[in-house]
Amino acid sequence: MATEPATDSTLQGPAAWEQQAEKERVHGLGPWRLGLRRLRRNKVALLFGFLFILLVAACAAAPLWADHVAKTTANANHLSDVIRVDGKDKNVVGLDGVPIGPQWLKADGKFFLGADRNGRDIMVRLLYGGRNSLVIGIIAAIITTVLSIVLGLVAGYFRGPIDAVIRALLDVMWSFPVIILGVALGVALALGGLDIGPIHLAGDSLGIPIFIIGLVYVPYMARPVRGQVLSLREKEFVEAARAQGAGPIRIMFTEVMPNLASTVIVFFTLLIANAILLESALSFLGAGVQPPSPSWGTMIDEGVDRVATAPHLAIVPGVMLVLTVLSLNVFGDGVRDALDPRAKVRLER
Amino acid sequence: MGRFIVRRLMQMTFVMFAVSILTFLIFNVIPNGDPAVRMAGRQPTETQIEAIRREWGFNDSIFVQYWTTMKKVFTGDLVSYFTQLPVGEEIVKGLPRTMSLAIGAAILWMFVAICFGLYSAVRAGKFADRFLTIIALIGISMPVFWIGALMNHYLGYKLGWFPNGGYVELTKDPIDWAYHLILPWTALAILFIGFYSRVLRSNVLDTINEDYVRTARAKGLTERQIMVRHVLRNSMIPIVTLWGLDFGAVVGGGAILTETVFDLQGVGQYAAEAIGQLDVPPVLATTMFSAFFIVLLNAIVDIVYAYLDPRIRLQ
Amino acid sequence: MIVIAACGGDDDKSSSSGTGGGGKEGGSITISETSQPDYLDPALSYTVNGWEPLSTVYTGLVAYKRAEGQEGSTLIPGLATELPKVSSDGTTYELTLRDGLKYSDGTPVKASDFERTIQRVLNLESGGSAFYLGIKGADAYVKNGKAEADIPGIETDDAAGTITITLNEPDGTFSNVLAMPFGALVPGDTPFKNLTRNPPPGVGQFKITESVPNRQFVLEKNANFPDLGPDNPPAHLDKITAKIIKSAQRQAQDVISGKLDYMQDPPPADIKPEVKAKYSDRYEEITTASTYYFFMNTRVAPFDNPKVREAVNYGVDKPGLARIFAGEVAPGCSFLPPGMPGFDEALDVDNCPWGNPNEPPDLEKARALIKEAGADGMDVTVYGNNDDPTDKVTEAYADMLTKMGLNAKPKILDGGVYFQTIGNQKTKAQTGFSNWFQDFPHPKNFMFLVDGKSIQETNNQNFGNVDDPEITKGIAELTREPELTDEVTDRWKDLNNKLVERAWIVPYGHRKLATFVSERMDFENCTRFHPVWNNDYTSFCLK
Repeated sequence: MATEPATDSTLQGPAAWEQQAEKERVHGLGPWRLGLRRLRRNKVALLFGFLFILLVAACAAAPLWADHVAKTTANANHLSDVIRVDGKDKNVVGLDGVPIGPQWLKADGKFFLGADRNGRDIMVRLLYGGRNSLVIGIIAAIITTVLSIVLGLVAGYFRGPIDAVIRALLDVMWSFPVIILGVALGVALALGGLDIGPIHLAGDSLGIPIFIIGLVYVPYMARPVRGQVLSLREKEFVEAARAQGAGPIRIMFTEVMPNLASTVIVFFTLLIANAILLESALSFLGAGVQPPSPSWGTMIDEGVDRVATAPHLAIVPGVMLVLTVLSLNVFGDGVRDALDPRAKVRLER
Repeated sequence: MGRFIVRRLMQMTFVMFAVSILTFLIFNVIPNGDPAVRMAGRQPTETQIEAIRREWGFNDSIFVQYWTTMKKVFTGDLVSYFTQLPVGEEIVKGLPRTMSLAIGAAILWMFVAICFGLYSAVRAGKFADRFLTIIALIGISMPVFWIGALMNHYLGYKLGWFPNGGYVELTKDPIDWAYHLILPWTALAILFIGFYSRVLRSNVLDTINEDYVRTARAKGLTERQIMVRHVLRNSMIPIVTLWGLDFGAVVGGGAILTETVFDLQGVGQYAAEAIGQLDVPPVLATTMFSAFFIVLLNAIVDIVYAYLDPRIRLQ
Repeated sequence: MIVIAACGGDDDKSSSSGTGGGGKEGGSITISETSQPDYLDPALSYTVNGWEPLSTVYTGLVAYKRAEGQEGSTLIPGLATELPKVSSDGTTYELTLRDGLKYSDGTPVKASDFERTIQRVLNLESGGSAFYLGIKGADAYVKNGKAEADIPGIETDDAAGTITITLNEPDGTFSNVLAMPFGALVPGDTPFKNLTRNPPPGVGQFKITESVPNRQFVLEKNANFPDLGPDNPPAHLDKITAKIIKSAQRQAQDVISGKLDYMQDPPPADIKPEVKAKYSDRYEEITTASTYYFFMNTRVAPFDNPKVREAVNYGVDKPGLARIFAGEVAPGCSFLPPGMPGFDEALDVDNCPWGNPNEPPDLEKARALIKEAGADGMDVTVYGNNDDPTDKVTEAYADMLTKMGLNAKPKILDGGVYFQTIGNQKTKAQTGFSNWFQDFPHPKNFMFLVDGKSIQETNNQNFGNVDDPEITKGIAELTREPELTDEVTDRWKDLNNKLVERAWIVPYGHRKLATFVSERMDFENCTRFHPVWNNDYTSFCLK
């Protein structure tokens, strides 16, 4: 509520798009066909969408690389190991703790991107870490979306006291500094684990960062959803359904919700991107994925204070993370332009 | 108008209250987190732990503990459990640093975003526009601590173009102050430049098609005059409000990562350290401080908006 | 490595233990600490980075000789005329104050100030209170909570300058306890509160003239510093400004460039290779009296089986762990550290029963023993905290256990709750990280960590619940010995041998610290690494 006045009038899509859309609508195409057609024309967005799929595929194939090329696991240390490169023996980790840099294919694919401080294969950890980062991003985005839709629907549809309570709740979450809330929860939950009803999440499970990240972005999405529901409930088709005797639940889910689809889709890709970024920030402050499981965030965190002697530790996971988030952002941008150029999407803080 | 302001103030108080309770609770459920035992050192005796509990009121019920802690927040008597230093004083010491970072970065991102956004809009669809769009998206895709650490190392230490972190007081040496802050400002601003330039671009494109711009063009004003006098001015209003909100958010916690990477020792870094030590009083105080800034700037923006647009007041 | 460090130490000692030396007098320097010392109040500070500066500002009745190596562990009279006279039953300590002593603000030192000093430690619930609870009536004093109440075990006479301390039972470490900063005298009117922002005056080479927490503090030469003899000489420098700089990277870079003259922490791993390569003429590593070890909970499977504990001792890759510490750990297998009376260098390296700690481990043997014990594939949770590099060490240790045939998983806790969690019997922590730095050079200060009598339900420090009847009995007997004679020291040495041979714990090395100074400092003649206080600021001088 606090920022609606601001955001409402901010992110107007280019008016040119609107005129174009109007023209196309006249030709009798449905909004979804129209959107798809526009997206197909946006070559850059498609290219980055494809890049994202490639990155996901690479991470999915992590065990293949680990078993057949690197011949190690994500958590196996090689502290005192020696490898043969170009006929010379090299320590995986030097006596002063400096790990070996990228070997590319010189050591038969071992330590393709070098080793970390524990002598673990960076390439293997990068792929497995990517899995964790992506899983966190995607599931957290799903949680945010579901919670936002439910809260937004209920608040916007019923209005009155229910709306007031939900809005107050969202206001509190909104005013809580995202990073402080995330880190505080992360530190506290990593120690004690978390019980949500029958589900128990151990302190070191991926569920904890997923839950935290899924939660903190709710107000950013629930507010615009609520705004949209407020206007949708006054539309003729809702009136018609109500006149036919449909109950509130039915109206919410069969009449109102389908009309939120484009907003949700636009939000979803960007939510994934931001969830991955937030995971990295939490890990940097020690409250993200718990060791020894890798994630891009924890890997960057381990690398930033070794930039002088082992720059690959920070640069490799960082570049992967930027590529992934960028591909999601560009693709998401394209989806927004195609489906709903007037969408108000704002997540970063 | 008066009633609107009162309502906002009441809402602010409620939010702050809720934030403080939530923070207090989060840190009270930590297992083995008993502060008395940690304060007693590595070789504690029962006598000593009991004395600490008595002195600091850890035996009281959680409601009483919350109440006494909150009282101390407002009287300024709040001290850290592990250094026994007054929390308020530490925040006041960090404030100029956090403010220097936030204000400078805010000015920088606004200025650069206007240049990028305008240029992009004027060249809409051309190569320059596409290029700037990609640059902007890269900007919002980078973790600030990652790019900050790389900048600090390569530009600060390796090349020696900038200081390698740290802070110099403005009153001591304004030039050195700015010199030390260039890298942090840039790192923090990158994200917002990316975002703002995209928003401005679409606002400008919208405005260009408005009737009054066409009228101005018909009157024979030059493109430059049209751009500055009509288009930019009207596209800026929403951006300025966003700017207010983001400024609040940066002071209220958004600066944590930047401060930590560049070792600025502002309020954010203080908060991050306190969380790391599970030191409840400073965590509580810094969280409330952060929430206060976020809520305050939200309220200011709303009030200004309500003043400009009477329809909102009725909501 | 130990040998090299020791040699370096000898070189320096010859030139800098005498007063004056070749060093220039006067001048001021700027130094850095990575974090604000926990307290700048002698009653409360209980960390290395607090003691390093405070040991130059405050002096106790008893002190340590300002020298390097073993010699620096020698107790000398501090503000007292001579070392305490201990009664034959070992419970009464008598001391006499030197004449004409003055605090840095000019106030004369009185014998009764000692009682106030101890009252402050106890009343402020300092981390050091445990050391003084053995004084008669101290426990009751803490329980009743009245600051000004008398402690029956401390009798003082201001006119004669005598101080008599009565203990509940004999405690061979008590002279060392008197030399801790907690026991360093402060004026009798010092208030009962944390004085970090305005530290009380003391008797020391320096006085603290400014203290802005988390920013900086300033030490200036104390004009009222009395002549305490050649073993405790005055300082060379006039002024030391200590800045708090959180980034170790920046500190090292600034010492290289000369913006700083000294950094308290060793240069971080990322900068160290450069420092060693280019600035070895002003950099030195010293092995400290500390031990890093893994505890194994003898009450919980599979570590209740001696075979498993032996296996772990065989299978831990000690040089590998040293790599994680960027070479800042000297591999060793003795629990008592170098520099500590009772330390046996042969046991530590060459005659280590588990193989030379500088060589790769005997994994085959470890695996065989685990199989023999029937612990193959057993689940083990390895505890560690999130301090750098403890988390990495814990991960590596878990991987080593897995390689030995167990199924180990690390569990990294926040540093703030770590020792409390593993010290709680309910946690049933199987195995994990621990370390200890000496508080004072007495074997008891290490051996209490493996004393069967010190096992507790909560706040346990004997994390592995080690309770070897012979060792427990030995500790109790030896603690009562008022003096560390050669014979007593040998018996401590014997206990340490038994502890290591019976595989109760897994010691893997001793931490190295460093001295790294700027170009303008006289590194050759004026840097003294004291075994208790670390880098001794009173020895610093400019070229």
